[in-house]
Formats: sequence, C-alpha cells, structure tokens
Amino acid sequence: MVKTSNFSRWSGVFIALLVTAGAGLLWWGVSASGPSLMERPAQHLFLGVWNILYATQAPAVSTIFVAIAIALLMAAAVAIVELVVTTRYRRSGDATATPLSPRVVMGETRGVHAGPVTVTALIPAHNEEASLPRTLESLQEQSVAPTRIVVVADNCTDGTVEVARRFGAEVFETRDNRHKKAGGLNQALSEILDDQGDNDVVMVMDADTMLDPGFLAEAVARFTFDRALMAVGGLFQGEEGHGLIGQFQRNEYIRYSRELKRRRGRVFVLTGTASLFRPRGLRAVAEQRGTALPGEPGQVYDTAALTEDNELTIALKSLGALVISPHQCTVVTELMPTWRTLWAQRLRWQRGALENLGAYGIRPQTARYWAQQVGIGYGVIALATYFLLLAVMALALDTWIWFPFWFGLGAVFAVERVMTVWRGGWRARLLALLLVPELCYDMVLNLAYVKGIIDSALGTKAAWKHVQHRSEVSGAIGGKSP
Amino acid sequence: MTRMPTGLLLPETLLHTQWFGVLATFVAINTLVYVTLAITKVLPKIYLSDWFTHRNRRRETRNIDPDAEI
Repeated sequence: MVKTSNFSRWSGVFIALLVTAGAGLLWWGVSASGPSLMERPAQHLFLGVWNILYATQAPAVSTIFVAIAIALLMAAAVAIVELVVTTRYRRSGDATATPLSPRVVMGETRGVHAGPVTVTALIPAHNEEASLPRTLESLQEQSVAPTRIVVVADNCTDGTVEVARRFGAEVFETRDNRHKKAGGLNQALSEILDDQGDNDVVMVMDADTMLDPGFLAEAVARFTFDRALMAVGGLFQGEEGHGLIGQFQRNEYIRYSRELKRRRGRVFVLTGTASLFRPRGLRAVAEQRGTALPGEPGQVYDTAALTEDNELTIALKSLGALVISPHQCTVVTELMPTWRTLWAQRLRWQRGALENLGAYGIRPQTARYWAQQVGIGYGVIALATYFLLLAVMALALDTWIWFPFWFGLGAVFAVERVMTVWRGGWRARLLALLLVPELCYDMVLNLAYVKGIIDSALGTKAAWKHVQHRSEVSGAIGGKSP
Repeated sequence: MTRMPTGLLLPETLLHTQWFGVLATFVAINTLVYVTLAITKVLPKIYLSDWFTHRNRRRETRNIDPDAEI
C-alpha cells in the first residue's frame, strides 16, 4: 500500500482558493476605492493624415506605486524565505532530521577517501529503440566517460534490448513492474546501489536525451570538489524542429535555463532528463520513506508520484541535501510534437507538482515550491481577466483606440520576452516579440494547470501517455518560472 | 468633433460602467505587477551574498581527497 497524504489531492484546490481569495481582496479594494472610469477618447491628426483616437488614460500614480511595491515585496519575500531556509539546512547539524545536510555529511566523511568519482549511468527505457542509439553515443563521446551504462528495459516489445547490447551497454530487464519509470528504476537501484561507494555516483537519464559534451566532466569535477554535494542536475534545451509548437517549448526551456543560471544553479527540479546522485543521498531517501518522506520504505523513487524527479528533488532537499544545476551541464531533449501530447505532458507535470507538494505539506523546504504554485495560480486569474478586458473592449468599440500608457507597458514586456530568449536565435526572438502568441501559449498551459487541479481533486486516474519514441521531460516546468 | 464608437456586439456604454472600471483597474494593477517582475528579470541580478564577507568561509577542504587544498 502506497502511503500518501490525503492532502495531496487537495493541494490544488487549496491553492485555487488562496489565489481566488487574493484576487477577490484586490477586486474588493479597487471597488471600495472607486475605480477611475474610462474617459472619452480624444481625436488627433497624426502627421496630418491619420485620424487617430487615443485615450491618455493611465492608473493614478498612487496605484502605480502600490502595484510596483506589491511586486517587489512579493519577490523579496520569496527570495528571503528561500535564502533563510537554504542557509538553515546547510548549517544543520541534526543527523536525524537532516542526515544529508553538508555539516552532517562532512562530519561523517572527514578524513575518509572513498576513491575517485565514477559514474554509473542508468537509462530507463520503454520501447526506445529509435532514440536510444543517439543517447548512448552522446554518453560514449563524453570526455569523462561513464564507468558503467545500464539500460533499464521496462516491458519493451521492440528492439531496445538489442540496441543497448549492440552499443556495449548492460541491460537490466524489469520484472513484473507496474509502476512505469519509477518502478523500473527502483528495481535497478535496489541491485546496483549496494555496491556503490560514496563517490560512485549514479546518473539517471532519459532514453531520448543527449548529453552535451563536457556534461560529465563538469559533474564529476563538482562531486570531486565537494563531498557534501548530493546531486547535480542537468539543464535541458529543446531539440530542433516541430515548427511553431517546438519553438514555444524551446523558448520556455531557454527562459528556464536562463533563470537557473541567474539563480547560480540553485535547483528547482533535478530533471529526469539527466541528473547525477551520490549513493548516500539515494540511500538516505530510501531509508526515510514511509516515515519522514512519503512513499514505500526502502524505495528510492515514490511510485505514487506523477513527476518522480520533482518528488525526488523535494525528498533530497527535505533531508538537507545540497544539490545544484551547473550551467555547464546541458542536455538536449525531445519536444512534444503535437498539442495533444503537449497537453497530456503538461497535465501530468502540473498535477504531479501539486500532488508532490500536497504529499509533503507545508515545510520550510517546500515553501519556495508553494510560492511558485501560488504564482502560477494567480497568473491564471491575471491572464484570464486580461483577455476578458481585451475581449470586452474589442466587442464594445468599433474603432481602434490607442492607449499610450498601455502601449508603453507592452513595449517593456516585449523587451523582456525578447531578451530572455536572445540565446535562441532570430526565430525565438521573433516569436517573443509578437507577444500575443506566447500569451496564448501561456493560456493553454494555464488551462492544463486548472484541469490538473480538477483531476487531482476528483481523483481521476492520471494518464501517463507514452509517446512512442518521444520524451516526457518530467518535472521542472511544473513550477514553471515564466 | 468626436464621433463616439458605437460598439460591435456590446453597447459602448458598458465601458463606462462601474463594473468595467473595476475590471480595468484590476487588470491595470496586475499588469503593473507583472511588468515590474519582467523588469527585474531583465536587469542584472544583484547577489546580496557578494556584498558581505562570508561567515562560512571554508576552514577545511570539502574535496573527496582529505589531503586536497582548501
């Protein structure tokens, strides 16, 4: 029986109520203070030719300042809480509550040399014969190659096993696994983990992901320089192709990578696309499941979690582990090729992220994640009311009216959108500059978020839709930063 | 002379109601909040920890090799 908190189903509803209450409060505040009504637009001859209707309407200066203050205070509060929590866990000497905190780990390993860092790569694969060769090649081409490559073949009916053997990888075939990727990895880890020394790190990577050159060299260096470091996560970039829907996803991933770089690698999610773990960290998680952590005792991954990589990250952090995503550790992963598959993927991510939080409840280490979910939840209301306003205005006016103030704000947004995807080249910048397409894309993701809350509350069986030879980059955007 | 728009589907007077005024101000405040956050994402980030001397400057090596330099 998998132990899950009853709260896990209701975390989404809790957030929905919270953000609705927040929005309601703001709405009430605005009505009580008497909103400025729309003024009649003035007419202006532009260059003596065009007849332009414009309204110089802008919010009161006090309103502008209040809004800016709210934004800055919220951002500062989130950052300060995160800083305080991180520092507290880093310095914790409580070996029972935080067995993975740097101070505890340092104490336990002082004066001991467990040998050089080695890498054992685990690749969970379910019918991945098409994408596996490129994945294995990218591993073998690393300047620091893994010591072992183990393909965890889970209920494969294609040539996955043969392909793996052809490339010289070991094959671990799962037995009676009903828990998909997490179940398969648990089986493999239960055999492999026992033989791993303190510095024999385990890498878990998707079968449809390619490591960029230098990934492992950087990760190994990090583990070598810091014996208290428990995990190194990859930063994923989207592969080329898939037209517009591909570009939307690439832009999203570029912004996420940029955000993590600005956070100096402080991780939200140790991505399932490629992350490395010190065995000590995985063992501690397995030991604490069923008591301090959700899940079944003795298992590394919680098989009840829809986003197992997100869950493992929170598990490690809850035990005080130091984890990082260096910007040098990048991978290229497959994207969802259709709206249908993208919808299924995002539904799983959003619902998974919410249910993971529900399973953990409100703890210091989940505060940042809760804040992120509240941010997404409020974004749903903000974006929906924005579209509502535009729709009402479009339907109630028959002439285009210019609002210089709002036009200016739109320009600031456009600058931000373009600059944050600058690295993605001209196609990324052009799509960002248009603003509206990305807003619509965000709205689609918002709808997936709302559907995730509803499905979770109703207890609908979650679909783990497997796209043949397509990746499901689990996790990180569930707390999507844009 | 200003000819006021009559509206396509909804009466133009709707735009001058209290309800619409509240919606417009609500959206305005939200938009300003998001613009502020957008500006903070574009500006160079300030790391407070860079400004202070580190209390936690290492006193011992954290390398896997106990004999490695700090």
